[in-house]
Amino acid sequence: MSQQLARPIRRALLITSMPVYLLLYAPLALIAVFSFAPAPGGASASAHWYADLLHDPDVLAALRRSLILGIGSSILGTILGTLMGFGLSRFRTRARTGFAAALPSLIIYTPIIMPSLVFGISDLIFFNLMHKATGLFSAGLLTMGIAHVTFQAPYVALVVFARMAGLDPNLFEASQDLYADARQSFLHLTMPVIRPAIIGGFLLAFTLSIDDFTISYFTAGPGSTTLPIYIYSAVALKGISPDINALATLMIATVIGIGLLQYVFSRQKERHPMPRTGD
Amino acid sequence: MPGTTDRGGITLEGISRVFGGGIVAVDQIDLAIRPGEFFTLLGPSGCGKTTLLRMIAGFETPDSGRIVISGREMQTVPPHRRAVNTVFQSYALFPHLNVAENIGFGLRMRGIARAERKFRTDQIMALLQIDDFATRNPAQLSGGQRQRVALARALVNEPEVVLLDEPLSALDAKLRAELQVELMRMQKRLGMTFIFVTHDQQEALVMSDRIAVMERGRLLQVGPVLDVYEQPRSVFVAEFLGLSNIWPITPAPGNTADTPLGRLTIVTPIGNERTAMIRPEKIWIYNDTAAPLDRPNIFRGTVREAIYMGASTQYRVELHDGSIVLALDTNNQAAERSWQPGEAVALEIKPENIILIDG
Amino acid sequence: MSALTGSPFLQGTAERAERAARALRLWITAGPGLVWIVIFLILPSAILLAIGFFSIGNYGNPHLPLTLEPFREVAGYSILGWSPDNIETILRSLLQAISAAILTILLAYPVVFFIVAQPVALRPLLLLFVILPSWTNQVVRTYAWMELLGPGSALSHLAQTLGFIPPHLGLMPGVFAMQIGLTYNYLPYMVVPLYAAAEKLDWTLVEAGRDLYASGTKLFWSAVFPQTIPGLLSGIILVAIPAFGDYVVPTLLGGGKSMMIGSLIASQFLDTPNWPYGAALTIFMLVFTCGGLIVFRVMSKRLGTSEGSMI
Repeated sequence: MSQQLARPIRRALLITSMPVYLLLYAPLALIAVFSFAPAPGGASASAHWYADLLHDPDVLAALRRSLILGIGSSILGTILGTLMGFGLSRFRTRARTGFAAALPSLIIYTPIIMPSLVFGISDLIFFNLMHKATGLFSAGLLTMGIAHVTFQAPYVALVVFARMAGLDPNLFEASQDLYADARQSFLHLTMPVIRPAIIGGFLLAFTLSIDDFTISYFTAGPGSTTLPIYIYSAVALKGISPDINALATLMIATVIGIGLLQYVFSRQKERHPMPRTGD
Repeated sequence: MPGTTDRGGITLEGISRVFGGGIVAVDQIDLAIRPGEFFTLLGPSGCGKTTLLRMIAGFETPDSGRIVISGREMQTVPPHRRAVNTVFQSYALFPHLNVAENIGFGLRMRGIARAERKFRTDQIMALLQIDDFATRNPAQLSGGQRQRVALARALVNEPEVVLLDEPLSALDAKLRAELQVELMRMQKRLGMTFIFVTHDQQEALVMSDRIAVMERGRLLQVGPVLDVYEQPRSVFVAEFLGLSNIWPITPAPGNTADTPLGRLTIVTPIGNERTAMIRPEKIWIYNDTAAPLDRPNIFRGTVREAIYMGASTQYRVELHDGSIVLALDTNNQAAERSWQPGEAVALEIKPENIILIDG
Repeated sequence: MSALTGSPFLQGTAERAERAARALRLWITAGPGLVWIVIFLILPSAILLAIGFFSIGNYGNPHLPLTLEPFREVAGYSILGWSPDNIETILRSLLQAISAAILTILLAYPVVFFIVAQPVALRPLLLLFVILPSWTNQVVRTYAWMELLGPGSALSHLAQTLGFIPPHLGLMPGVFAMQIGLTYNYLPYMVVPLYAAAEKLDWTLVEAGRDLYASGTKLFWSAVFPQTIPGLLSGIILVAIPAFGDYVVPTLLGGGKSMMIGSLIASQFLDTPNWPYGAALTIFMLVFTCGGLIVFRVMSKRLGTSEGSMI
């Protein structure tokens, strides 16, 4: 198809799209450049602000909370999401239509299409009311984690479902036919074939957790400042400072690193694409 | 009742299966498949042949009836505890395993030691000439190679029965013909019972010891290939298996019957039969001037279409009353024994070749 | 015909047993996740919506009796009489969302066709580079523009010297900065669905069109553009809906508290609490969201786009 376009058009596309790529990365690059600002009193670029971060107990605490939140919610979100994606792909009766059949899809898409602000406020009120009623669910990492799982699980489900949809449904019968009981089928067929989707789903869940601000902000409590909230408070109250730039740079680098990792991983998977079935 | 020595034999008694919406996929089927035979279930799509096969494999449970495999009642036994292996239409090769691992899967699940697994896998790969691909992934194989792997994956377990669900339908004609022969060779060599499902009558004719023709969940006719082809007991079987000329008949005096072509002489007076069938290759064709008018059932007409097929030529002949007769002539004679559209010919329908069908 | 007629087997017992077994497995696997979403999102949002019909209590919390007062407040009525502020905020949000969609469309088309013009192996990587920035935290992405557009920035200096803005003011805060922030944040959400449509483009139609239309522009509008409409529709939905209710961008780049409906809603729960009013605003926003989604579904159904690979 690439040959379909005439050379002048291709050149025009290159010329018009390069500024867009530039636009996408310029702000992030600027943050990184500013993060190497000279130390107070210094004149040349320095890693001073990075060193500063390492000694800032607030930043370290926020980092620790972000990691706990990100990893913890991703584990639960991946488990629930994998089970949903797998179950809906394997065990839903295709023939039936109507509201009852569409209900699982409606539920799964709700967290995805719900504006994050509405999501966050709904949970803010819900946890608030639950706390008043039961004494549990006091705002903090736990309530944030619950909210994160709620939006992570559907995305993981979609990834796993897509993987399952690409598989020959006869595979599961073939393994039964070849003397595998339910446990063996799970261990020797289901797990290996959906493992890439589970790992990809976990990485996605983690980036979603790290990326989220709005929902975290509304479900957070006094002692649960995570990195995004820390940055937001700092920027909103004090304006931009080089140490915030350093912190942001580290976050950008981490997320881009995970993104590239995920890409490499999915590439590897493509080296073993699905067999094409008959017709 | 089959005894325990009936290894590889299958008996179905009163097997039925109803799907949602009351669709009767399989309707009260009784069938006995002998050990070591190549048995084909033939029928149009949706006739219930695949459902029947899946019930033998254990993927579906019958609503009623008994499935006896090698003398043991099996209708409620799950697939992994049946000594039956399936070759799927889509091959269903495991994408995360290479060829050798795919083939060894069944042995591994049964807990067979690595050394023996390797020995048996190597052996079957050599037999099917896929040993060069042992470490490849299924995605890197051609259709024919995948087919062989799927077959090897079933055969390596030395099952009592091998079930094949239209395994050749995705292959091109040449490869299909090759694999047909190979499947037959394997089956004879290993002595396992093969139950083969297809909608391709040619394939069924070539490969099977016996065939069962299915339509709308019922068995219409079961028997050796030759019998079913030569003596179809219903119009459906006659039309589904090979080409045929079919006419309604009404009784007439003596050994004759009235058909749209005119009066037809037959071997014995007809009884309840209301249909006459004759295969095109059993019709003799002559130059109009050379018609043996002293013999019965000579019909004159004009060639409307001549399809040259190498070994034979198929003619569509329009008789004077407008009815069309299909005739097949082997091209074993000199070139003058062939006719062009528009030429006048005479057809001879020998009474002994006419098959009478009830209803 | 059937021998089963009148036989005791016509019940499909096996089918029923299999369906029951499947349903049980479906519940065991998908059940926990679905129940989780219902408890922690669908139920809470239902509560939020219900609060919109309550009166306001002493601490901004909902109180009986039920009333439509919060919705009058949305329309701009209060004890102080009617004010156009709310209508302005809503219209501004709508305008910002629509222009964000338009701007992302203009930026996305060249990028998408640039990617599609590259060899197949290279395309996923080029697409990834469009998506990657959106994986960084929204606060980080947004505050980057505070640096680029702030009063001391080079861009602001340029705008000052060109006379676009008064000296000592920046391009931020304000409507302009919000527009840039929204466009930047949601650009990938336009590129991805457009790319999906462009990759499936039927080039034989374009070839056929080449014989019919002399100019490239005409060719684009008649043979290429119509094929990208399904992707375009998805993109508009994915950009306009979240942009309409965005919270971070108006808060960081907008300056004022009620620049957009998102910040207006949030302040009813964070600053001076008025839950029923905030809930009523939320209902109003969701009506817009659902309206957009319904329009999208109807249009994409009419265009015959399939969603077969979706759950």
